[in-house]
Amino acid sequence: MKRSALALLGTAVVASLTLAGCSSGGGSSDDATADGPVTLTLAGWSLSTTPEFKTLADGFHKVDPNVTVELKEYDATNYDTQMTADLSAGKAPDIYVQKNLKNFYTYQSGNQLLDVSDVAAKLDKDATGGLSDYEVDGKTYAVPYRQDSWVLFYNKDLFKKAGVAVPDGSWTWDDYDAAAKKLTTNLAAKDSKALGTYQHTWQSTVQGFALAQSPDASILDNDFAYLKPYYERSLDLQKAGAQVSLGDATSNSLTYQAEFGKQQAAMMPMGTWYIATLLSQQGTGDADTFDWGIAPAPQYDASTTGTDQTPVTFGDPTGLGINPKIDKKKIAAAKEFLAYAAGVDGAKSLASIGITPANTSAVADTFFQLKGMPTDDLSKFAFSTHDTKPENPVSSKTATVQNILNDLHTAVLSNSTSIDKAISDAESRAKNEAP
Amino acid sequence: MATTTLTAARRRPGSRLRLRNSLIGYSFILPNFLGFAILTLIPVGALFYLAFTDWNVFGTASWTGLANFRRLIHDASFWTAFRNTLYYSVLHIPLTLGVSLCLALLLNRKLRGVTFFRTAAFFPYITSIVAIAVVWNALFSPKYGPINEILRFVGVDNPPGWTSSATWSMPAVIIVGVWREMGYYMLLLLAGLQTIPQQLYEAARMDGANAWQRFRNVTIPSLRPTLFFVTVMLTIGSLKVFDLILVMTNGGPGQSTLVLSQYIYKKGFEENQFGYASMVAVVLFLLCVLITVVQFVVNKRRER
Amino acid sequence: MATLTEARALEPALTAPPRRRSRRPLGRTGKVVGYAVVLVAAAALLLPFYWMVMSSLKNNSDVFTIPIQWFPKTFVWSNYVDIWSKGDMLTWLKNTLVLSVSVTFLQVLTGSFAAYGFARMRFPGRDALFLGYIATIAVPWQSYMIPQFILMSKIHLTNTLWSIIALQAFGAFGVFLMKQFFETVPEELSEAARIDGLSEYGIYRRIMLPLSVPAIASLTLLTFVNTWNDYLGPLIYLRSPDLWTIQLGLKSFISQYNADYAWIMAGSVVSVLPIAILFMLGQRYFVEGIATTGLKG
Repeated sequence: MKRSALALLGTAVVASLTLAGCSSGGGSSDDATADGPVTLTLAGWSLSTTPEFKTLADGFHKVDPNVTVELKEYDATNYDTQMTADLSAGKAPDIYVQKNLKNFYTYQSGNQLLDVSDVAAKLDKDATGGLSDYEVDGKTYAVPYRQDSWVLFYNKDLFKKAGVAVPDGSWTWDDYDAAAKKLTTNLAAKDSKALGTYQHTWQSTVQGFALAQSPDASILDNDFAYLKPYYERSLDLQKAGAQVSLGDATSNSLTYQAEFGKQQAAMMPMGTWYIATLLSQQGTGDADTFDWGIAPAPQYDASTTGTDQTPVTFGDPTGLGINPKIDKKKIAAAKEFLAYAAGVDGAKSLASIGITPANTSAVADTFFQLKGMPTDDLSKFAFSTHDTKPENPVSSKTATVQNILNDLHTAVLSNSTSIDKAISDAESRAKNEAP
Repeated sequence: MATTTLTAARRRPGSRLRLRNSLIGYSFILPNFLGFAILTLIPVGALFYLAFTDWNVFGTASWTGLANFRRLIHDASFWTAFRNTLYYSVLHIPLTLGVSLCLALLLNRKLRGVTFFRTAAFFPYITSIVAIAVVWNALFSPKYGPINEILRFVGVDNPPGWTSSATWSMPAVIIVGVWREMGYYMLLLLAGLQTIPQQLYEAARMDGANAWQRFRNVTIPSLRPTLFFVTVMLTIGSLKVFDLILVMTNGGPGQSTLVLSQYIYKKGFEENQFGYASMVAVVLFLLCVLITVVQFVVNKRRER
Repeated sequence: MATLTEARALEPALTAPPRRRSRRPLGRTGKVVGYAVVLVAAAALLLPFYWMVMSSLKNNSDVFTIPIQWFPKTFVWSNYVDIWSKGDMLTWLKNTLVLSVSVTFLQVLTGSFAAYGFARMRFPGRDALFLGYIATIAVPWQSYMIPQFILMSKIHLTNTLWSIIALQAFGAFGVFLMKQFFETVPEELSEAARIDGLSEYGIYRRIMLPLSVPAIASLTLLTFVNTWNDYLGPLIYLRSPDLWTIQLGLKSFISQYNADYAWIMAGSVVSVLPIAILFMLGQRYFVEGIATTGLKG
């Protein structure tokens, strides 16, 4: 008796869930254009400390004073959980940010994004980094407004102190390793506690590069052998004491901002989002004042090194998507907003606050005029010239495989499992859990 | 004597009295049950239904029968999480019970400063779990942490890697779990100890019982309802442990501290396989219920 | 007669608790060692809180370092001022207080009410229903969080303080705890009251509740603490910044690429204090338990 009652309950609930999922938006008019003022709601996070949303909203209002973009606050670390809950209950805002490329697939395959191929057609396909990542089956479902890529941050003062040559854009990973070890030894000789480099605890610090740079590497074919050389190098650096081990970094909850900003390490591979943070922290005194620069990320081999080539690195775009439940009358305005954010005008306003926009070609000068930015040519090159591959290629298997690879990451770098065993474990798990 | 005549008297009332008693009984539980049924029972019911579907939170939930269950049986990660959960519980439950019982007995008297010590014992429970994770991780830090420094000082050559080692991460988490919850259960046991009338102890003392005999023959039997409650909550809490592991080790290194609740969260919220996650939740639920029923039966039997 | 007075003179010696006699062998060294052990234990218990307080007085980038800094290099007292201006601490405190008090009140009231029904009344389905209550405790909340959220939003409760009150006030925990304590009250008392003509509701109010003060005190404290420190519930249900609780508000100091850990720690310290004070004040309800006299005559 209880079982059938449960089943009845369950059916009732799921019926209402599916109805919620399928019901269309409130707008009944087919009128595609809106006359008079339109208000769009946009999801953002940490509004008080993340100015990019307000910048885009205000900038767009100047372009089209008819449209006001209202910001809705979400939690920075749990954005996707909250957004998932809101979308499933039909309460999400008109436009919402695609914060993590890893979750884009879920939203798109769950029909939570409007087709915006017409917006994408208006954008410069080559200059807008990350646009192709949002394309599924020939249609585009979101547009990127920012795309950070990973570069090598380095502390010019520490390099001078150690007497080691600064990066010049020609480094492979072997050059990077050698420099890290030399820096550590020389700095120790000068009574400095700083290490050669700092590799943050995220799996992307190793796997992102491995995936982007290794030829024919893919996370979707259950072959993870391409990770081996990258992990061997990391383990080698840990063993040589040139970088803090993963165990020590996690157990002491080290933050990458403090490690580089307080000069605990002379180098650090990190995403370009850190530029704005470092500038602001140097302004408030949270970080030391020192001479720094960015260099292209170390390369797989010499074929992509040098300032006459395009260095290969990784990075995921951050984009905007339209909620299919949006009032039909507002769709045109929403699409205009997307076009603005991903286009040159949006890029310029974002660059003026230190954000790396999706379209970096038009904004290098604006960006480098910010107070405290390094002014050398290599930094400008690293910022504007790169072949950025996605860290999380869009597919149904990506989230699962990335979780498996994260376990590999912690197992290998904590010396709990050998790299070969960890790779074979990951491959069998991938076959099992992400068929 | 008096009790038996009274209970005999109660068996006599007819069906009308029984109906009236039932209605009164229902009226007592109604306010709580109404809210409980709407806000908890219905979603839990939905969960049970979803376990047999392939719902990914946005689409429709299509019925897949036992497919999720079959997948679970062959899922090596599920079994790892299952083993780890049992590993955690089997050590955590007796340790916490023992320590909190000792604390409750020790602090159940009007000593000087007992208020301070009781508050100190309760502090781990009210401190932010993020702070707890950060501090214990730092204490356990293999190279720089004080715990390993002390171990090296007393001659241990290769102190464990604690949260950075796949072998020692679970013991580290268990230690922190016991430390965190002993104040909570101490509080419950203290309240239970208050209900034991002093006369029973006096009578036992008069009969010549020593401290241990008084403990075994007066304290434990009188504490039984509270002990049952504490044991059941402790068991369910241990099998469901989630936020401590999430902030301390996030299931790592590797999968060495992956537990079922976290596996459910990963599958549901990170990989959006809500149907499968619901099935794992149902299995966890059945495990808890099985153990609780066993405890329930044992308790009822001891009652007589 | 002489024997009677002798017997009466002996009486106090016989009934005097022999505890005092057996304690003397412990001596002063024993007491000192005992206190030392307890002090070390207390230090171990308070260590993370100590770190929290110390970190709240550091500069942000000194909070996480190798090796851990147990003492700030410079004392940044302004952190405690900044959290009130940079964050809306007053609103957060108000919301958290409102939620904790209402949830605690409702849980104790409806929980003890229902517990009396389960403990003392007989009605069909009682044991099965009770097991059903306990069974739901066994389901991890994250797994039914989304269906529950959809349900709550359909009845328009989301993004209001009522959502949290509704979710937490009717929990199974309170029912379970109070039922166990009601079972320790001897049946004879209720029987005697019934014979005297008291209704079941009267027995609940006049006999069960007063005798369960330690249990009620525990339930009050634990429910209050749980609601005060609840993070996941408010995260999902309280979205507008004017509804945030302290835990949510503190998380707003974490932006995507940076975090003001010193402020978070300062806010956490401020958040723990009311609970610690509540606990210390509530001690008397655990210590002075109600002696259940009038039992065997």
